[in-house]
Amino acid sequence: MMPVLSILLFLPIAASVPAYLVLSWRKSAGLWFTLAAALAELVIALYVFYFVYANFPGLGHSGLGAYALTEQYSWVSVASFGVSYLVGVDGLSSPLVLATALLTVFAVIGSRKLIDRSEPAYYALILLFEGAIIGVFLSLNLILFYFFWDLVMIPMFFLIGIWGGDRRKYAAMKFMIFIFTGSMILLLALMAAYMGVSPTTFDIPSLAGRIPAPIQYLPLLASFIGFGIKLPVFPLHSWLPDAYTQAPAPVAVLLAGVQSAMGGYGLIRISIGLFPQAAEQWAWAFMAVGIVTMFYGAGVAILSKNLRSMFAYTSIAGMGFVVLGSFATVASGSIIGMQGAILEMFVHAFTAGSLFMLAGYIQKGLGTTDISLMNGLRSVIPRAGTLLVFACVGAMALPPFGSFVAEVLVIVGGIHATPYAAVAILVPVMIGGYMLWMIKRAVLSPPTLGSAGTDMHRVDAAVLGLYFVPLIIMLFFSILVLGPSAPVVQHLLQLVSH
Amino acid sequence: MEFILAAVIALSAAALGSPLLQAEGRRFRVSAYASIAALGVAIVMVAANTAYGGSVSYFGRLLVSDVLGDLFALVVLSVSLAVAVVSVYSSHSSQNMPSYYSLLLFSALGMLLLSYSADLLMLFVAWELMSLPTYVLAGFDKKRAESNEAAAKYAILGALSSAIILYAISLTYGVTGTTQISGVVAKVASEPFNPLVSVAILLFIVGFGFKMSIVPFHMWVPDAYEGAPPAVATLFATATKKAGFVAAIRVVLAIATVYALAPNSVFTLANVFAVLAVVTMTLGNVAALTQKSMTRLLAYSSIAQAGYILVGFAIFAYSQQTGLYTYNAVLGMTGSLFHIVNHAIMKGAAFLAATLVLIQLKRSDLDIYNGLAKRMPITAFTLAISFLALGGIPPLSGFWSKLLLFLSVINTPLAWVAVAAILNSAFSLGYYFWVIKRMYLDQGESTERVNEPSGFVVIFAVLVGLMIGIGLFPQQFIAFAHAAATSLFT
Repeated sequence: MMPVLSILLFLPIAASVPAYLVLSWRKSAGLWFTLAAALAELVIALYVFYFVYANFPGLGHSGLGAYALTEQYSWVSVASFGVSYLVGVDGLSSPLVLATALLTVFAVIGSRKLIDRSEPAYYALILLFEGAIIGVFLSLNLILFYFFWDLVMIPMFFLIGIWGGDRRKYAAMKFMIFIFTGSMILLLALMAAYMGVSPTTFDIPSLAGRIPAPIQYLPLLASFIGFGIKLPVFPLHSWLPDAYTQAPAPVAVLLAGVQSAMGGYGLIRISIGLFPQAAEQWAWAFMAVGIVTMFYGAGVAILSKNLRSMFAYTSIAGMGFVVLGSFATVASGSIIGMQGAILEMFVHAFTAGSLFMLAGYIQKGLGTTDISLMNGLRSVIPRAGTLLVFACVGAMALPPFGSFVAEVLVIVGGIHATPYAAVAILVPVMIGGYMLWMIKRAVLSPPTLGSAGTDMHRVDAAVLGLYFVPLIIMLFFSILVLGPSAPVVQHLLQLVSH
Repeated sequence: MEFILAAVIALSAAALGSPLLQAEGRRFRVSAYASIAALGVAIVMVAANTAYGGSVSYFGRLLVSDVLGDLFALVVLSVSLAVAVVSVYSSHSSQNMPSYYSLLLFSALGMLLLSYSADLLMLFVAWELMSLPTYVLAGFDKKRAESNEAAAKYAILGALSSAIILYAISLTYGVTGTTQISGVVAKVASEPFNPLVSVAILLFIVGFGFKMSIVPFHMWVPDAYEGAPPAVATLFATATKKAGFVAAIRVVLAIATVYALAPNSVFTLANVFAVLAVVTMTLGNVAALTQKSMTRLLAYSSIAQAGYILVGFAIFAYSQQTGLYTYNAVLGMTGSLFHIVNHAIMKGAAFLAATLVLIQLKRSDLDIYNGLAKRMPITAFTLAISFLALGGIPPLSGFWSKLLLFLSVINTPLAWVAVAAILNSAFSLGYYFWVIKRMYLDQGESTERVNEPSGFVVIFAVLVGLMIGIGLFPQQFIAFAHAAATSLFT
């Protein structure tokens, strides 16, 4: 049997060095090489996604048996201390892996026009970043998880700090300080989990359901802070608007699209998976945090004067759905909410990704993303303007986009837990409101005299259209994600009710 | 033991022979190569002892050959070797270089003997053999006022710490009637509580604490590191500092296995170590954040790292007093010893990178590091990797030792130490990343490439390779540290 997961994990990391060398040698060859590596990774990710869909184990399996594919090797083993290389994939991780691989391909294509200096290092870092994020989703050992969790941030620091906008250094430092503080606090939770069981272990499948309830509370809180900074949730979000607006557009796509999903994944896999009883006790508080985050994000987005900051806060609101849905399931025992959260992470990758990519093209074409300075995009830059309308509809969670399914599931799941969660329905309404207002002001308004800009290239427009393909597929075939994730969620619920 | 004797003979011969080459005038490089060769031989011999030597005592039980000694001897000799290599490039006054190498070798010999000391008198002699040459080395740039100041400050505080240690030894001898450490432990165990022993233990901690650079005995560190020739500062930060730790482990932790500091549960050795650990790491990190000179930043960072190492001492003492948490104590001491090894590598890399910048650009303030990635890419990369490793970021070596240290206290009554250490780690990344930002994101005064000599490049490659290699495959190193740690539990 081929170690397909290890190949999936290490292909981008291994390809980053040759990509650097080829790009240094000849730029066009290097771009093709990078794209080929990203596409190869996408093929493997599609295979794994399909494999999980076709072979996911039903309920009743425990330990490693609950995963569709696993690989395990000894890594560190001293008499009293052991860490294994344990990777696996199930219905929770496979959609996120696929989203990462797909978005990386889009980001590489999108970078072609938008990045014009130090390309070798840039593409090498993008590949390293992709490998690290996939590592986070595949790791089933807490230390391996933490390895990749931290590794994600090193390339991101440089991607923001070197290729970002005018305030890139400030944004990169702020990002770094917030994220590393979060990851250190997360490490406390991981260590407490290790020491909480006897015999000690870092393997998530062996830890799940074995940590005594009384010592779950503080680690749960620490892990929620660690993941909450990444998602982010209110009030741990203040690094995000700077990072999302200063990062170059393709990097913002990855930040908003998949890096935030790391936080949601961690909440489900670790916060809820390892500390289920405590999570149930405190579920109401976390649901409240989720709802506040949604309203905060949507509320601030209304006031945004800049396209990118509007999208950044929209992304925060989207992550509020993930928190609400996940903990609604823990509180109510109905699997709908968490399934919605998993689907939301998948579709959010493409809704947020398309928005940030378009913001990049608009910045390139018009020289600004200030909403009050933009008008008549429909006739000035028709391709970008039209696509912007589609992307906004995706973010508003309206059919024909799969984000509709995800948000409906989350809100229904929330109502299962408490009727008050119904207020969440106002959030898509707010998002719809300010998005339409923005479209009216910027896209549909008559162009002012002399306003001109360069539209995005045909190829770029076509690639941007591809963002909508998985979104539309998810409206009709959401079973692709919901099917394999159902036993995962049910398994978590069994842990909660123990 | 034959291997250790061979190492001692090689170092002594080269140390005594080196000044004879003084008369040869310009051919100082001969003494450099002889010293490097002697250190290489010594390392090979210690490595052979690690592989083939058993646990035996020697010279009327003055020296004991065990895994703990091997670990420290390998660390201090390797650092001395690296310092000897880079000193070839930093020789301002080539005339005196044979004496320089002689002093360096004598100090290395002292550290080697200290690593294996099993008797308080042997330990003291080795301690002085290590210390005295370093006072001269600190002032080796005799035309520079800072170097003289560093030497004077270091010598006075060093003499004070030696006096304190000697006083503690005399107290111990007075109470127990022996200077043999195992004899002292046996005697203390058989006697009822005696406050004089507590005083002696505290004096030992103070005396060794100067070298370990723990707060509040750290005052000399930034000045000495800044004033001393940069290669010598590397030796202070990564080798003589370790000597303080091995002495503390050999003496204080050995007595801690049988003796509580006071007959109550507050003023215990565990709490003393825990408080010292937290104060040391916090003060080191806070002070490092405010520094404007790279050498001083590294000095304070080095102080902070000493605090992390003490975490393992605290849980060891706690476990010995209460009989609980033995598993944690093994983890903690493994972490401490592993962190001592890692710290030598990480801090060695950082100091040598700073040394090269000082040699080539003649400045050590942080502004010169702006845009360094374009001027000295290899040096900047080495410094960045070593800072990430010092910050405890995977997949680098520092992560594992910090993980072991923090794990060891997380579920004990000392959990507050773990929380403080974690917050300190996060805080320290502030100044580590500040320097990385300067090197990679900021614009420098110039973008002209600066020469990076091949000797430095080789050492940088080895150290970076070690930091990444240990980070990815720590098995052998953790096993080695674990073997040394378990030898402390009797």
